[in-house]
Amino acid sequence: MAESEEEVDVLVQRVVKDITNAFKRNPNIDEIGVIPCPEARYNRSPIVLVENKLGVESWCVKFLLPYVHNKLLLYRQRKHWLDREALVDITSTLLLLNPDFTTAWNVRKELLQCGVLNPERDLYLGQLALTKFPKSPETWIHRRWVLKQFLGQVSAVSCSRKQKQGEVEQVDGELIQQLSDHLARMLHQEMKVCSDAACRYPSNYNAWSHRIWVLQHMAKGNAKVIHNELSSMKLWVSMHVSDHSGFHYRQFLLKELITELSQTAACLSICLPQHWPSTSPHRHSHTQANGELYGAEEDEEDEEAEETEETQRSSSTILQLFHQEIELCSDLIQSFPGHETLWSHRRQVFYLWHHLKKDHQHHCSNGGSQSVRISKSDPPEGSRQDMTRHEHGCVPEPMEVDRASLPDQRDNKRLKRGVLLPASPNLPSEHSFVDRILDSGCVENPPWI
Amino acid sequence: LKSLLFYSGTQVKDVIIKPDAPSSLLLDKHADYIAAYGSKKDDYEYTLSEYLRMSGIYWGLTVMDLMGQLSRMNREEIIDFIKACQHECGGISASIGHDPHLLYTLSAVQILCLYDNVDAIDVDKVVEYVKGLQQEDGSFAGDKWGEIDTRFSFCAVATLALLGKLDKINVDKAVEFVLTCMNFDGGFGCRPGSESHAGQIYCCTGFLSLTGQLHQVNADLLGWWLCERQLPSGGLNGRPEKLPDVCYSWWVLASLKIINKIHWIDKAKLRTFILACQDEETGGFADRPGDMVDPFHTLFGVAGLSLLGDEQIKPVNPVLCMPEDVLQRVGLQPDLLS
Repeated sequence: MAESEEEVDVLVQRVVKDITNAFKRNPNIDEIGVIPCPEARYNRSPIVLVENKLGVESWCVKFLLPYVHNKLLLYRQRKHWLDREALVDITSTLLLLNPDFTTAWNVRKELLQCGVLNPERDLYLGQLALTKFPKSPETWIHRRWVLKQFLGQVSAVSCSRKQKQGEVEQVDGELIQQLSDHLARMLHQEMKVCSDAACRYPSNYNAWSHRIWVLQHMAKGNAKVIHNELSSMKLWVSMHVSDHSGFHYRQFLLKELITELSQTAACLSICLPQHWPSTSPHRHSHTQANGELYGAEEDEEDEEAEETEETQRSSSTILQLFHQEIELCSDLIQSFPGHETLWSHRRQVFYLWHHLKKDHQHHCSNGGSQSVRISKSDPPEGSRQDMTRHEHGCVPEPMEVDRASLPDQRDNKRLKRGVLLPASPNLPSEHSFVDRILDSGCVENPPWI
Repeated sequence: LKSLLFYSGTQVKDVIIKPDAPSSLLLDKHADYIAAYGSKKDDYEYTLSEYLRMSGIYWGLTVMDLMGQLSRMNREEIIDFIKACQHECGGISASIGHDPHLLYTLSAVQILCLYDNVDAIDVDKVVEYVKGLQQEDGSFAGDKWGEIDTRFSFCAVATLALLGKLDKINVDKAVEFVLTCMNFDGGFGCRPGSESHAGQIYCCTGFLSLTGQLHQVNADLLGWWLCERQLPSGGLNGRPEKLPDVCYSWWVLASLKIINKIHWIDKAKLRTFILACQDEETGGFADRPGDMVDPFHTLFGVAGLSLLGDEQIKPVNPVLCMPEDVLQRVGLQPDLLS
């Protein structure tokens, strides 16, 4: 084992080189870790590369970290010169061992700004650090900075191209396509990094709030991406029923998607205030009976009808989203009783529903047209209970819908053929759900009550 | 030492407090622990946490002051250290050679208030630094690289309030931004759309207190969320279905105090939990009974006990986590809901 300062110097420089070489030898390293090993054995390197896993023997970390740490701080105080290559190597080693060392990430930001570092290699370093430290706030913060730089470049390119319109239209198209492909790849990669970190540490606040940030900045208003996220999250939350952060993310997605869909519906209905629905008796009759929603006739070709159809499609999609979410939540509560997370999710879904309905009522009472037909199966206030009983014969049981996928074009075709839509969330059905849970004996009084 | 409670198919993530866990407050041990901390640390431990050194000093000094033992710390050395950490831009870094950040700028100003010596640094430059980090939407970046978080909004207004310069920023805009981070459960997250978190809630209620906007909080709704953080062991967690942790005795309890709902939790049980997190041999508090102690949890354990009314400890201010007598000297009395 190294003892004198010079010996430590030599040892550490060799280890830093070994780490750099390991990455050159295998650019696909996907996980890092410390191998418990209190003392150096034989005369071999403490850096171990097995398949795509990079390990550092624990005995050397105690020398390695203070050494690279101090070296960087001396550089920062202009007391010691390091060339760019050395800076890249030292900050990598440092951040893999101690990823919350903010200043080391800042040095890399400067290297990125002067083009010495490739942003994707930097994101990769962060990804590796997260395999060992999945919460590391500074690693997530740095990722957001790198992504913001990239987004800034994308928007700069598309702006400058727009100004030169006409001359290079062909090149334009290709470049924009390339950029958008690149953006899509990065988005996909970020989602993967977030998922990995979420699996490594339960209720990982930093991972999930990063994922929200990514959607807000890289896929704002992109209903398709949000839809896909919502679908793919279904399995994840079902397997992590106590992960409050994962469920919060789902709530975020639901809210975003509903906002998008409501805007589509509201925007279209503003174009057609005089027709929909009050002055259009034939359509009115289509929507009133026992929760069924009929679309316009297939062969009807006028624009108005198409727009109406679009409005209906958005409204029915919203209704189905709520229905499926409540059903998922009910299933999970019944299968995994007693999880605070599941009940808090249920509360938020109802809250969203309540607000959407309130906004809708507000919109109507202000003399506007119907923005979103969310309450087609909701009778007017006061008579709700009676009406639902009449419509469904007894306590409303939501109808069976395809639970594996979110509403899509096929659903809309079914709607056109007059397939029943599920009942909207309401108070009596919720009360009966809670009664069923309480009666089922799944929940007993906890011992401290 | 940590275990889960199971009953009737339902599980609660919590700890069991053993019968032989500490049940009385070991103040002298804690003072010895903090006084010795730092001197006995090896290179490795020191470098690992150097990126937050300034906050570490604030935790240590504040808990010493709350225990009436501030004089045991090396005042001159600490003030010199802070001076050396102020940068050209006015911001203060965690340690020498590190980059400046709002987090450590606040810690440094808090330390200098404990020592009644804010003039040791260039106050005008600190104000300029904080002011320069406010964004168009009212939010605050933590440093020049632009990360946005409600924690930084709190750091900004707390720093300026302690310096009596709150009027230097656009307070209305700052409030507007923090309110966009409020959630349906009455809590707050780090950015608009983010999950409620007890630490962020503390920052945001503290922020609204310092800016005189506590009426914007839905105290019943938020109080409900906060008091549901208490677990059967008496400890508090920071979010649903997480383990209890002594630091949340501070973030949750202080928030409850600010919105005047501290009576909504079982204080005696919380006290039992906090006391059980002490280490009888080394002194100091850990996050949970039986874990390793550190100065961070030691401050928040002691500060929590102060909020619960322990008379061996000085009264602590729930907004700034500093002794009330220090704030009286500074002339700052943040609002609390009544």
